[in-house]
Amino acid sequence: MASPRRAARRKASPRRTRPPRAAERAIVFSVNGVEVRRTLGRDAPAGMTLAEFLREELGLTGVKVACGQGACGACTVLLDGRAVLSCMMLLAQADGHAVTTIEGLPADDPVIAAFAEQCEPGHGTALQCGFCTPGFVMTAKALLAENPDPTLDEVREGLSGNLCRCGCYPGIAQAVLQAARRRREGGAK
Amino acid sequence: MKKPFTPRVKRKFLGQYRPRSDGREKASGRALYADDMTLRRRFPDLLYARVLRSPHPHARILSIDASAAEAVPGVRCVLTCFDPEVRALRPTNAGWTDGVDTVSYETMMWRRFRDRRVLGDTAHWVGDEVGAVVAAESEAAAEEALRALKIRWQKLPFVLDPVAAMQPGAPTVHPEIAPNNILPEDPVGGPDVFLNKGDVDAAFAAAEVIVEADSVHHNPTQGGLDPWCCLCHFTDDGLTVWSNSYEADQTRMYLSQMLSLPLHRVRSVHEFVGGQFGSRDTGDQPFFLFTALLSRRTGRPVKFRYTRRECFHDSRQPAIYHAKAGAMRDGTITALEFSSLGDAGAYADHTMFALKFAPIEVAETAFAHIPNVRCRSLAVYTHRLPGCMMRGVGNSQFNFSMGLLWDKLAERLGMDPIDLVIKNFGHEHEGRPNRSLQAVLAAGAERIGWKDKRHPPGQGPEVGPDRRRGVGFSFHPAWHAEWQELRRGEIQVGLTLNPDGTVLLEAPTVETGTGSNMCNILGCAEALSFLGIQLEDIRFANRVDTATSLKDCVQTDSAVAYLQSEALVEAARRLKAEILSRASRKLSVAADRLDVRDGRVVFIDSSRPDAPLRQVLMQPDIVPISVRLSRPPAAERTGVPYIATFAEVEVDCGTGKVEVIRLAVVNDCGTVMFASGAEAQQVGGQCIGLGEALTEEIVYDRASGQPLNFNWIDYAIPTMADMPDIDPVLLEVWRGAGEYGACGIGEGTVTCAPRAILNAIYNAIGVRVDELPARPEKILRALGKA
Repeated sequence: MASPRRAARRKASPRRTRPPRAAERAIVFSVNGVEVRRTLGRDAPAGMTLAEFLREELGLTGVKVACGQGACGACTVLLDGRAVLSCMMLLAQADGHAVTTIEGLPADDPVIAAFAEQCEPGHGTALQCGFCTPGFVMTAKALLAENPDPTLDEVREGLSGNLCRCGCYPGIAQAVLQAARRRREGGAK
Repeated sequence: MKKPFTPRVKRKFLGQYRPRSDGREKASGRALYADDMTLRRRFPDLLYARVLRSPHPHARILSIDASAAEAVPGVRCVLTCFDPEVRALRPTNAGWTDGVDTVSYETMMWRRFRDRRVLGDTAHWVGDEVGAVVAAESEAAAEEALRALKIRWQKLPFVLDPVAAMQPGAPTVHPEIAPNNILPEDPVGGPDVFLNKGDVDAAFAAAEVIVEADSVHHNPTQGGLDPWCCLCHFTDDGLTVWSNSYEADQTRMYLSQMLSLPLHRVRSVHEFVGGQFGSRDTGDQPFFLFTALLSRRTGRPVKFRYTRRECFHDSRQPAIYHAKAGAMRDGTITALEFSSLGDAGAYADHTMFALKFAPIEVAETAFAHIPNVRCRSLAVYTHRLPGCMMRGVGNSQFNFSMGLLWDKLAERLGMDPIDLVIKNFGHEHEGRPNRSLQAVLAAGAERIGWKDKRHPPGQGPEVGPDRRRGVGFSFHPAWHAEWQELRRGEIQVGLTLNPDGTVLLEAPTVETGTGSNMCNILGCAEALSFLGIQLEDIRFANRVDTATSLKDCVQTDSAVAYLQSEALVEAARRLKAEILSRASRKLSVAADRLDVRDGRVVFIDSSRPDAPLRQVLMQPDIVPISVRLSRPPAAERTGVPYIATFAEVEVDCGTGKVEVIRLAVVNDCGTVMFASGAEAQQVGGQCIGLGEALTEEIVYDRASGQPLNFNWIDYAIPTMADMPDIDPVLLEVWRGAGEYGACGIGEGTVTCAPRAILNAIYNAIGVRVDELPARPEKILRALGKA
């Protein structure tokens, strides 16, 4: 039995060519501020992950899939501002939510800038191969939104769900602390 | 106690702390990797390939009924080991090259060990790609087709343990190559006793002190985040491949030779690669071939990418070492002997490189003053994951053995191991003490607090209930100086000066994250200082495309950071000569009466005022000035610099858990090309070094031969919360060849960590664990508690 809310969405959908069948389900959510409507079971397989949808359907390749097991954090996106692993979420679970990928961050985002520019001596750079970087940036965004002035230990704990095999952890920690300073100085972003 | 590095020679661009050139592109998620370049959005008629992986450690396929698989909706092609184009593929070796030079089928490195059939009918380990491959409209359909294959397997006996594999009657892996599983001697690796200097037996007989040391290195995996991926597309033009291999020119040659295509009909395209650490060698390229065959059959682009589980199919070669040292009571080492048994796993790949080449290089350099040295290696096939290149290939295993030997010998002699090392080691071009070795050990000792914190084994102060701390170190001669890169062949670079004074830089290499591209940009800017340019005036393409690029410099030996820059110095000289010749014609002044300084044309011994170069070049005929050159690395034998890692650990004697408190990573770089990038390599290498020392381990079920933990939950890569405080120390003591005189450092940053940590554990608790990884149960067993 479809909820009235969902039924209303279906009605509003301009993509609809026929009513959804029993095995189908219409979903509406936003990605980087743009509304997305799909009917699961028709436009996309019901088992499709959010990561696959973002990459393959929307071409948002800043979302990386390194493990597909929820173990590395490379696929991290924001769901209503919270960091989530998009490889461990079904597309269906995005229904009614706001998804932000790294492509949705502004060009002058202080976290991106801090990761790009880290060269404080003694810590190395904040990225090398760069494959894990978007995931770290998104996790750091969520961390700083929750805790605008984290200690080094809080950064280490907060980012311990992300793997960087190039091992840029000290540079990443510096970048996050630097981004926190810039956010506080420039007004939170 | 971190101290920023200060360059020996102050230069305009080199040797400084600054952001990476690709930082913004990567931090914003705009950098494209193989999987990104090959989305279906870009290739609308894309097919996906999945390959059958053996569920058995040793089995032969008797027959395959593919009819049900072919009937799965979306399946477009099922190719099996019985198809003629598969059978026609020549047997190959997973280590086709040594990773540095482009070679043909006939000149491939390990010709004696062509043990790999592409999509063969016999599986040699659980996970071996055999039997069949499917192309379908989706990966799910391809997987479903694989499940629908009706395969008759003949299961065969298997052996997992390398010592058991050597026993008579053991199941054989490749009987046609190694009837008793022991890899035969071969022309590249040389005899089993591959080094025999002086009279080792007589020296041991005369030695006043003899110590022996046994150690076991396992097979950690590289663990790069970017899963292997390729897209092959056959068209009338030939074959185009997009991939995250780090070898563009070699990939082209490999595909050309294996598929009998002319070189100009194979195009290999590479953008950013998400980590390498030794993997992504030609050893993994059999899947390029069946993906290409599927594209030829279907006429459509076909994409193949590894799952994370499949990414575990690369690892370091496990090695069991027995080491022996003979010395006089004053600490003079008179004899050394190393014997190793390597586990090649199912395919020989570079096992012999790991076992023989690394010790030879160390012996050539560090052991140059030891009169009697003998090294012997055997490798055996087993029905396990094949080992391959991994960051610090062979050196990690050898360092783990020799660092134990020095620690034990020093203890027996009652010496500080630092004094023992400085007394005995150096290189052939310099007497002892060796300045580089001294400097590296002094810096490490200072940063870790060696004098204050070191104590007799197990006798340090307890820092908590049943918790003890200790310190340890290990050192290694760095590789590779430029003369050690001669086998690489010629290095190709190009410079184009635009009429407006901006520069196009060609120094192709596949960017895997090491920072070598930044080194090239800095080296280029430095060499072109006479143009008065800034970094932003240089355009550098990260993409390597064999249809348009020069031959790429392969990302191995950590050597790209200086090899191309040295070639660029010469290219810059030639470019300057070209500029002067052009200016001479335009200004009607003899070229030898002109110079270019700081972006201006200067008239020598003339009162004529300088003219901006740009103004001169912008006069007709307005064309860019280009120089391309190809030259071998410098052959000047400059010796090698040294590296060392010092560790401080805390051991919980109740639980066996080891916490690494601090690591000091010291590299004599010759010249630091890019300080931030060099530090990133030093710091970053510890993610692998610490992991292989303490947590990372591939576990098998011995009864079934199944690997059990090909995932990142059960195979524990260190996270940010696991990492100790790391102090990166850059030094410039040694001087290499050429204008800059640098040396590769990236690989070596991994090499010394496991031994430094395990020596520190011994210093803390007074008992040794000498099998990696040093997991808590091994510590407790060594303490007699388990």
